[in-house]
Amino acid sequence: MQLITANNLSYSINENQLFHNLTFALDSGSGLHVKGGNGSGKSTLIRILLGLTSPTKGEVIFPEPSPFISYLGHKNAIKQYLTPLQNLDLMLDSSSLESAMTWMRTLGLARVQDEMTATLSFGQQKKLALIRVLSNPSDLIILDEPFVGLDDSSRDLLSKFLSARLDDGAGLVLTSHIDPQVSCDELILREKEDV
Amino acid sequence: MFNLLFAEAFKLRHRLRAWLGPLLIMVLVLIAFPLSIDVSQYDLNKFYFSIIVISLLMISFLATESIFSEDYEDGSLEQIYLEEKDFYKVALTKISIYVFFIGIPMSLIGSVFSFANGVSADELPKIFVVLLFSTLILFNLFAFGSALSLNKGAMLGVLVSLPLTLPVIVLLGRAVRTIQYGEGFLEVLALLLGVGLILMAIMPLIISATLKTHLE
Amino acid sequence: MYLPYVMYLGFFLLAIGWVWGLGFAPQDAIQGNSYRIIFLHVPASIFAQLIYFFMAVCALMHLVWRVKLAAYLIKSAAPVGVIITFIALFSGSIWGIPTWGTWWQWDARITSTLILFIMYLGILTLHSSFSNLEKADRLMSILVVVGVVNIPIIKKSVDWWSTLHQPASITISEAPSIDSSMLYPLLVSISGMGLTLIALGILISRLYIFTREKNKKWVQNYE
Repeated sequence: MQLITANNLSYSINENQLFHNLTFALDSGSGLHVKGGNGSGKSTLIRILLGLTSPTKGEVIFPEPSPFISYLGHKNAIKQYLTPLQNLDLMLDSSSLESAMTWMRTLGLARVQDEMTATLSFGQQKKLALIRVLSNPSDLIILDEPFVGLDDSSRDLLSKFLSARLDDGAGLVLTSHIDPQVSCDELILREKEDV
Repeated sequence: MFNLLFAEAFKLRHRLRAWLGPLLIMVLVLIAFPLSIDVSQYDLNKFYFSIIVISLLMISFLATESIFSEDYEDGSLEQIYLEEKDFYKVALTKISIYVFFIGIPMSLIGSVFSFANGVSADELPKIFVVLLFSTLILFNLFAFGSALSLNKGAMLGVLVSLPLTLPVIVLLGRAVRTIQYGEGFLEVLALLLGVGLILMAIMPLIISATLKTHLE
Repeated sequence: MYLPYVMYLGFFLLAIGWVWGLGFAPQDAIQGNSYRIIFLHVPASIFAQLIYFFMAVCALMHLVWRVKLAAYLIKSAAPVGVIITFIALFSGSIWGIPTWGTWWQWDARITSTLILFIMYLGILTLHSSFSNLEKADRLMSILVVVGVVNIPIIKKSVDWWSTLHQPASITISEAPSIDSSMLYPLLVSISGMGLTLIALGILISRLYIFTREKNKKWVQNYE
């Protein structure tokens, strides 16, 4: 089943073109690794796939019923003034909470679960934010630089998790400067040459 | 919907400065005004109500300053969009919660202070209801202003939404006069409530479109 | 290309209107010569509001059909609105001295014009606050549309408020019906001012469109 079909996507900001005529499709069970230098439009492409940003031209088509997407971008979407546990309560359905608690222990967050999130380190906060993706039963996982700030062991955990989800038939789109260690197709965005 | 209501209330409850701050500032402003003039002056009673109205206006925009920007900064707004596909419910919920947790106490403070300045006890509930309905209107309009400015600071939001709120001030002045003269009060009250409810239905739509534009 | 003609016709009509109005129209029975400022004041006041309504139409077009040009027009019309609203306020203020004996009256019309002035500036401030110009365009359009709904409400409410306070004071709306010897130069001034403003608007918007579309081929090939 095709999870995403992107037709002729183009995007310009303030009349400066980022990319032009991108066409691709993503099947369930396959991954797509978006590559490109700084400012090549990776994050923008991700936001277009999510429907947050509308493309200047082209369209993104989802099948019916639309797949359940879990997403983590540059912003963690966690509340600094709450504890990790309270954050989980806010961001997950009660049905996912049990698996979230397992992930808390696996990622070593269980011992800080009642601290104020603001006192957690950058990496710990990133892990907490990742639990949104890890414990949600999603059809499509979209990640923007998920490995930034993670230690080696958590990075392996995440890679293994993503591979396992792909085997289950979920789709994956991610950007990363680090090799994600997940079998993915590659989509390379070239920076526009100066005219 | 209930979940959303609970979540927003939970978030606001844990940000003490977001709800207690405006209330305390309101009290301080209402204390500051009499200090600036001679207490023995007879005129204080006459003008005090307009100070309550103006402080209501000011504190309303202070209170709604971070109503959406907090969720925008930390990325929650994007997650909400992925789940809900628009922001109507979120805006409606947030405004209701803010009116409930900040608007009601504000109106109470306002009416108590008007009591301290010569309003008789049986007029107190009237003043309270009038102030409460105006906060309903003001919170909607200022929420729109802070949705427009979002991460660009409260100054911009106030600048663009303050002109929209001026009719409310006129209406409030009118309401107070009807309380003093004892007739036409219910008409003005109905007008305030009607405007408040209409805004409550329409403003979240406009706010939703505004927030969506910000995520682009 | 027809811009110079519009501009010259505008200047010409404005000149005729003013010379006629200032030099040849009869004195007002009550106000004497001071009334002659209406040849500046009335056109300015009319266009102060018309420009906002023009912007609101553009804003709707921008929001509904995503017409880019409409947003450019709003952005270019707003400064014209600021200028003309300021002229309306300032000339009204000067007129207030001989007729009311004061620079400022909390009259319904004056107050709502002042609020309009601030709304114009607010719109410009909002637009300049965002680096993503397309986002700025859309946010500005939303504000303009919300604002236009509010203008009659502000006027109505301020009317209500001021009639309560000062029912007997002289307001512009109660001015006696105007004699044709004054009306004609006034109409000429209004149309002259209108054409001048259109020309000014075209000038500003042309400049603005060029800066916004500077990377497009048609701009680079332009002359």
